[in-house]
Formats: sequence, structure tokens, C-alpha cells
Amino acid sequence: MLIKILGTGCAKCQRLEQLTREVAAEAGLAVSIEHVREMDKIMAYPVMSTPALVVDDVVKSSGRMPSREEIADWLGAD
Amino acid sequence: MDLLLAAMQSGAASLASYLAAHVLLCLVPAFFIAGALSALVPQQSIVRFLGPDAARWKSYSAAAGAGSLLAVCSCTVLPLFAGIYKKGAGLGPAITFLFFAPAANILALSYTGVALGAQFAVARIVLALCFGIGIGLLMALLFRKAEATRRAADAGPAFAGDGGIPARNLGFLLALVALLIAGTLKLDFLNAALFSFNLPWDGRAVQATLDRWVPANPATGAEGLSLQGLLLIGLLLLIGACARRGLGKVDEGFNRWTPAALALTALTLVFAALALRSTGDQLLLTVTGRTVAVAGLTALLLPLARRFDAWDMQQWLWETWRFVMQIFPLLVVGVFLVGVIRLFIQPEWVQVVAGSNTVLANLAGVVFGVFMYFPTLVEVPVAKMFLSLGMHPGPLIAYLMADPELSLQSILITTAIIGKLRTWTYVGLVALFSTLAGLAYGAWVDGAAATTLLPALAGFIALLAATLYAIERQRPPH
Repeated sequence: MLIKILGTGCAKCQRLEQLTREVAAEAGLAVSIEHVREMDKIMAYPVMSTPALVVDDVVKSSGRMPSREEIADWLGAD
Repeated sequence: MDLLLAAMQSGAASLASYLAAHVLLCLVPAFFIAGALSALVPQQSIVRFLGPDAARWKSYSAAAGAGSLLAVCSCTVLPLFAGIYKKGAGLGPAITFLFFAPAANILALSYTGVALGAQFAVARIVLALCFGIGIGLLMALLFRKAEATRRAADAGPAFAGDGGIPARNLGFLLALVALLIAGTLKLDFLNAALFSFNLPWDGRAVQATLDRWVPANPATGAEGLSLQGLLLIGLLLLIGACARRGLGKVDEGFNRWTPAALALTALTLVFAALALRSTGDQLLLTVTGRTVAVAGLTALLLPLARRFDAWDMQQWLWETWRFVMQIFPLLVVGVFLVGVIRLFIQPEWVQVVAGSNTVLANLAGVVFGVFMYFPTLVEVPVAKMFLSLGMHPGPLIAYLMADPELSLQSILITTAIIGKLRTWTYVGLVALFSTLAGLAYGAWVDGAAATTLLPALAGFIALLAATLYAIERQRPPH
């Protein structure tokens, strides 16, 4: 599973990456997490605000911090 | 050596009186509101009005709304600006957003209102709104050909945008805003004394020491430090100590420092709303309408907060603390330096350059604003210094409009996103409009009656409406 965090380096974006890593580690999932920081690449996704969470090239959330449970749900961790 | 000492003292005095007089009832609630706006208002709720197909009037008002509601720090401004420009409503609304955001966010407005007076805050928001939309429209009109081709080439996927603001989030925000208003507004029923009692403690010796350390000087606008102010600074330091762990680490779960920090904050707000005065050998403690209002609203926040998930509240407190850490240290340094510099600026210089409301004086205000880069909010104490040194309110508004909008940094960022030609056109327009804003406000302060200014303003708005209509007609049908 390929997970991308879209963020320009703001505090929320760092926090989202950290949270996603934690959730994935707790569920024992093998995922690769990439933090996309370039504005052009971020704008290639249908989002207008950061931070955004992209799972397998589908935008799951943008412009807010999702909760731990939501992330676990998107990653398919039970 | 004496000069150095005097400079240090002036800086420390300015800092002490700022912390005691301005920070508490204004900036503390404002930081909590900023945190709530960032954590509890989903960006989509506003951004969805900024889609590429949104009606023009909707996208311009949403851009202004996004400016004041979402963009508390520059890290949000940049992605949103790029997003609105590239994926959303286009150049015009993006420019409106860029112009409006630094002047009209909750921190800037409430601080301006308390430090300089409510009329400056109102002037700032009204003028920024008129001219922000005006500049956005002009830019859209000037570059409409290039915009049309760019849009045709860049028909990306429609962006997901749904979701409103839940009612409980709105209620919570309103309670916080009410707290800010109750703490800062100078209304009779808030200032009225309800009852008072004497504390048998002689504060004269302490107050005399404070007066010696932090002398009040109405001529230069230096405020003194009262006994209550000293206690409030102590409480602020205590909050800071608790909040480092209590709020800074709250995203890992509430810890035992969290309630301590919040209870201290509430206590400090209520104490700041009391009136404490030294009368002879006793201290007179007066409970005013403000005390009751602030205490009531603070107490109201608890049941409101309980209706949220713990996660939402953790986000709120964490964001609040992020803003404090990001802005407050710079503000403290800035206020200190303003106090030092004030010692070296002769009032005559300011009065000669900008003592009256002329075109040249307004231009000077704008030029100073462009070339001096101050971090967020520091423009306010700088403006206060100029005001007390005799600067005319007109040029002061021109400066207040230009300083946060234009700086070398923001010009560079904007160039990277929209290109050189557009950026410099934008810079020129902002300089022009800031000068106009200063002239208009200055004329109004000078008593150039509403009868001449209102038609001028109405004419300006009519011009805006006509432009809006013209653009609407020139839009190619989708």
C-alpha cells in the first residue's frame, strides 16, 4: 500500500505523517509512506488545502487532521 | 552606558506594559479562537465555494471569508493561495484572499482593536475588504486573456469539496468570540462597577517601585505598570510553564498539566477583568460587569467543550499552543525593540514626514510598510509607537494596509506562483490602494464629512459592481 502525505512542511502536516506511521505500525501493516512537499506535485491531486492524506492515489482527507480511527479505517487495519 | 541602560529600560518597560495591558483579555482569547478556527473549521466548508465554476460574487466573498477564517499563519496562506489560483476560482479571488488574509485574521484584528482603538480595527477590515476585492477584480480584468488560455489548458480533475461546519463547532466558536468581545470592548455596562470591597493591604510601596521602574509618560505614549499588571505577568509566566507540557503535548492525550494550564488561564482572564486600585493604605477590589461576563462565558465553555470528542479538543488545544509558540516569541522581541527604538526617534521627524494627511505622507507610510518587514502582529506596536509620536491616522492606516500585504518575502512567494508581471502589477495596485485608503481614512478623521466620503465610497463600490458584471458577461460559457 502506498500512502502519500501532501503537505508544505506545516506543523499539521508533520503531525499527520507521524500519526499515520503510528497507526500503520500498530496494525503491523507493510506500507510505504511518502511525504510530498513540492507545491506542483501537491497540486496534481484534487486538493486545495493541506495537509492531505492519499492512500493508493485516492485522496482520503484534506485540509484537516483526521483522527486515529479514521486513518486506521482507510488503511484497512482492524 | 547611561544611554544603553535607558534603552534597555525603555524596552523592558514597553514589554511589561504590553504584557499587562494588551495581551490578556485580547490576545489570550484570540489565540484560543485561532486554534479553534484551525482545528474545528474544516477548510472544505469554505473552500467549496472557491471551485472553478463558482459564481463570481460567491467566490470573491468566499476568498475574503477564507482569508479571515482559515489563514491565521503564513503556512496556511501559501498552499491556499496556490490552490485557489491553480485549482479553484482563479487569479482574482486568489489575490483577494492574499490581500485580505494578513489584515483581517482574528489575531490581527483583535490586537489592533485593543492597542490602537476599535476605529482602527474597523477601518482596517472595511478598507481591506473593499480594496482586496477591488484589486482582485482589477487583476482578473487585466489578465483575463491569459487566464482564459491557462484555464483551458489546465482542466484538472474536479476537486472534492464537501462538508459544512457542525452546529456545536459554531456554538463553541461563538462563545469564544463572545469572550474576546466581553474582555475588550469598552461599553458602559461592562465597565460599570457592581460592588467592591477593600483588601487590608498597603500597596503603595510596591506601586511606587513599579512607577520608578516603568515610568508612565503620556507624552510618548508609554504606559505604566500597575500592581494588577505585575500579578498578571506573573500569572502569564505560570500559564506558560504549565502549558509547555499541558498544551504542547496534548495531542498524545490529556495529561495532568492540561487542566492546570486551562484553569490558570481562566483564573487569569477573570482576574484581568477585575479592577484593582490602591486607595491609601488599602486595596480596592471592584467587580465590574466585565468580570461577571468574562467569568460567565469562561464557565460556559466547559459544558460546550464536553460535547466534543476528546480528539477534537486535543486538536484545538494543540493548534492553540502551536500559534502561541509561533507568534508570541516574535511579538515579545518586537515589542521590546519598539520600546528601545522609541527612545531614539524624535517626534518632530515623524510629524514633519507624516504629521498631516497629505498624499506624500500617505506614500511615506506605504513605502515604510513595504521596506520594513515585521513578523505577524508586530506591525501593531510599531503603529502604536508612530501614533503616539504624532503620526496622522491617515498615513498610519496606509502603513497598516501596506506592511502586512507587501514585503520582500511575500513578493518572492507570489512571483513563484503567478509570475513576475502579475506580481509587480499586484504590488503596484496595493501601493496605490493603500495610499488611497490612508487618504480616505485621514480625511474622515479630519472631519471631512461623511457626506463627501460616502458618495466617494459608494461610487467606488458601484465601480466594483460594474466590473464584476463586466467580467461575468465576458466569461466563456462552460
